[in-house]
Amino acid sequence: MVKVKDKIEEELQAIFSSDAPWITIVWDDPVNLMSYVTYVLMELFGFNREKAHELMMKVHTEGKAVVSTGSREEMEHDVARLHEYGLWATLQRGDQAI
Amino acid sequence: MKENEHGFFRHGENAYLANFSESEREVLTNLVEQIIELLAERVDHHNDDPLAAMVGITMHDTPPDDEVLLRLLPNAYADQVDASEFRRYTESTLRQKKLAHAMAMRMYLMSAVDGIVEVDHDGANAWLGAMNDVRLALGVRLRVEQNTHEDLELLAPDDPMRGVYAVYSWLGWLQESLISVLMDESE
Repeated sequence: MVKVKDKIEEELQAIFSSDAPWITIVWDDPVNLMSYVTYVLMELFGFNREKAHELMMKVHTEGKAVVSTGSREEMEHDVARLHEYGLWATLQRGDQAI
Repeated sequence: MKENEHGFFRHGENAYLANFSESEREVLTNLVEQIIELLAERVDHHNDDPLAAMVGITMHDTPPDDEVLLRLLPNAYADQVDASEFRRYTESTLRQKKLAHAMAMRMYLMSAVDGIVEVDHDGANAWLGAMNDVRLALGVRLRVEQNTHEDLELLAPDDPMRGVYAVYSWLGWLQESLISVLMDESE
C-alpha cells in the first residue's frame, strides 16, 4: 500500500508542481516540401504566412523548431494533428534539452 | 508523366481543378490504394476488448516494424515508455485520419469526369495529406535520407528506382501546384 501511495503522490506532484510548459517540436525531413510545411503550419496553428515561413526556415536550417507551447494534453493534440499531415513532430517538457 | 502541364489551378470560389490523363489517374489511384492497403494491414485483429476498440485504444504500443508504416505513424515522444503509451491511445485515430485522406483522394480520382478533378478547401487538404503520405512512403523506398537529389537524378536507366523517383518528383510538383493556389488565396 505504501508503494501505491508513494506512486500517487509522485504523480500528483508531477501534475501540480511543474510550471514548466510542454513543447511541440517539428523536425527536418528530406521529403516534406518547404511550401507544404509552411502551409500545414498556417492551417493547423493559424500562423500568418510570414510566421509560418520563419518557423519552416528554422526547421530547414537548424533541423528543428518549437512550434507550440502549452500543457501536455495540448501538445499531444498538436503532435497528433502534425502527424496526420505527415510532419515529423514530437513533444517533451520545455525544460528538457532538445 | 508530363501530360498535365498545369497541375491544380483555381476555379472560382473555393474550387480547385486539375486535369489528369488516364495514365496519370491510374498511377495516382494505384499509389493511394497502396497506402490504404498498408494502413489497413496495421488494423489490430487481436483486440478482444470491444470497449477498448470502440474508444480507439489498440493493442499496438510498439512502433510498426515496417519502415514506411513507421514514417506514417511515427513516435510522438523520444522516450520509449511515453511513446508506447501515447501510441496505444492514439495510433488507431491517426490511422483512421490518414485512411480518410487517402480514401477521399481515391474517391475524387474515381469520380473524375473527363479526367477533371475538382476539390474544395477540405478536399484539397485531404489531397495534400494523402499525396504527402505517398511521397513519404516513396521517400523511404528511395532512401532520400541518404541519397541526394543528384544521386537520384543519376540513377541508371534500367534501375527500377528511376521510375519510382520520376513519380516521386512528379507528385512533389503536383503537390506544389496545389499549395501555391491555396497560398495565393490566403494572402
